[in-house]
Amino acid sequence: MKKKLLIYGAGAIGRGYIPWLFSSKDYEFSFVESNSALCSALQSKKVFTTFRTKNNKYEKLVCQIENCFLPGKEIPTKYDAIITAVGPRNTLALKDKLAKVDCPIVLFENDMTLVNALRNLTGSTKIYFGIPDVITSNTAPQKLLDKDSLSLVTEDGECFVDSGAGELGGFINYVDEIELKKQWMAKLYIHNTAHCVAAYLGSQCGKTYLHEGMQLPVVYNIVEGVMGEMKNMLHVKYNIESEFVDYYAKKELSRFSNLLLYDPIIRVAREPFRKLAPNNRLIGAAQLALFSGIVPENLIIGILSAFLYDKADDSDYNIKYLVNALSPESFLKLIIRLNSHEALYLLILNRWDSIISKLNNLPYE
Amino acid sequence: MNNKFLEIAINAAVSGGNILMQNYGKIIKSSQKESLRDIVTEIDALSEKEIVKVIQHSSDKYGILTEEQGQIGHLDNSYWIVDALDGTVNYIHQIPLFSVSVAFVKNGQPVAGAIYNPLAEDLFYGLENTGCFKNQKKLFIKDTPLSSSLTAAAFSGKAYNKKNRSGEFELFGRINDLSQGCLRTGSAAMNLAYVSAGNFGACWGNANKFWDIAAGLLFARLSGAVVKFHVVDDKKHLVNYLAATPKCWEELEPIVSDVIKLD
Repeated sequence: MKKKLLIYGAGAIGRGYIPWLFSSKDYEFSFVESNSALCSALQSKKVFTTFRTKNNKYEKLVCQIENCFLPGKEIPTKYDAIITAVGPRNTLALKDKLAKVDCPIVLFENDMTLVNALRNLTGSTKIYFGIPDVITSNTAPQKLLDKDSLSLVTEDGECFVDSGAGELGGFINYVDEIELKKQWMAKLYIHNTAHCVAAYLGSQCGKTYLHEGMQLPVVYNIVEGVMGEMKNMLHVKYNIESEFVDYYAKKELSRFSNLLLYDPIIRVAREPFRKLAPNNRLIGAAQLALFSGIVPENLIIGILSAFLYDKADDSDYNIKYLVNALSPESFLKLIIRLNSHEALYLLILNRWDSIISKLNNLPYE
Repeated sequence: MNNKFLEIAINAAVSGGNILMQNYGKIIKSSQKESLRDIVTEIDALSEKEIVKVIQHSSDKYGILTEEQGQIGHLDNSYWIVDALDGTVNYIHQIPLFSVSVAFVKNGQPVAGAIYNPLAEDLFYGLENTGCFKNQKKLFIKDTPLSSSLTAAAFSGKAYNKKNRSGEFELFGRINDLSQGCLRTGSAAMNLAYVSAGNFGACWGNANKFWDIAAGLLFARLSGAVVKFHVVDDKKHLVNYLAATPKCWEELEPIVSDVIKLD
């Protein structure tokens, strides 16, 4: 008897990566997807292709699915396990649906605090955190899309999940709390922080895919510099061993430059205000570096490049109006919520003009 | 609608707000206008001067209607409208409920604007066909019913008149009992901003000055509230209005329009 998985979110991680974690001999997949066009396409075709990059080649997996539902049409109690990959802003909205289920629920979301928040809201104790340590594009190069318009490309990553969810099975590393936290810290600061900086710099250079920006030495060097600052911070503040953070950073630099992945910058750079929140991967990471005695010069360049992110269809597109309208002092105070006596406020303010000028003069293609 | 108007409004409102903060708690003199509640201070004038400077620096093509200086330049179909300190009495008494309100009006309708409460560091801004925001966030109202909403009122600033005032008090009392309360906050601009942010389910005003409410009327509408206003006196720029969630509107519109005229 196959285990029935319900996956919330048929985007990059949901559709592109999760099918690689579970053998189709033992599991069947259903999705819940809010994009009605995508949902309808998946429901009518009942199949899609995901490609995995390995040794500079693509591996192909054709994934059969049972159903794809629009939100609200699914019946979560019918499933043996649930995985969410909907983005942190949308996760808590699932509370009413998830309150009714008794199976393990794994959150593949970029926010560890959601586990306790959702446990409190649903009363369920079987909610666990998972880290898909992988980059997955939400699209694919045209030659692959020509064969299947629902194709995605993912890397050959690793997945770490709280050992409490072990009954879920699959090709997953079930780890204890200490290991999960170490992996999360590395993912949060070495991966997430540097990843979005690469995206904002790439956007500033007019690039479409992350690897295109990383091919520019100026972008590569800043991203590498951000990783160096984050490695030092993790070692000083959290006592994470140097060998691990060195290995992790090297792996990430190689991933960001993966020519086969076609990871869209608009996916990685989306919602800059969320990434600029006080405890998130840009401002939060910079504060942690400062508390550890490290002046994050490269990360400050990344933060300012996020301020300049200009995409009309992004949900945080109003950042452009605010940067144009407000003085740097007012923008940092009212919008980024930094106090004028804070070190980070002063560091950003003192570098504002010169960095903005440099960012505006990056090679644009 | 051009983003430029929004960016000018934000810049002007925050610049005016900075003047208010630099002088908070330092009022030297104030003078009365139409009633004991209709007060002006030297800080109103300073803030207004700064706002006008910002607008003229960026957009000298359009006239400006301000509370203190009146008309600056020619008011055509399109013009700026400015209240450099809405909630002056609160400001004087150091009650943290006051704001700067700046809007751009086109064909009688506000189409871009900003309201800034500098003490709370709340910046509301909105642009026609784009949306209304508070600081980082885009605002959408929840359609709350009157029984679970807080509401607010803004009385006319005119001198005491028994007939008019008893109508206002009667309406205030009725809504106070039909809702979780009706506040008289002293800042009509903030009332409307709070409707757009979902803090208030509704607010209404009787013969308020258009500069108090122009930006707020836009924000309430853009965030999904039902908004109606009626120009009582074009020369004196007096306007009645009701802004409410759709559910509050159903209950309030008949009650409010019984006392104050709405279009």
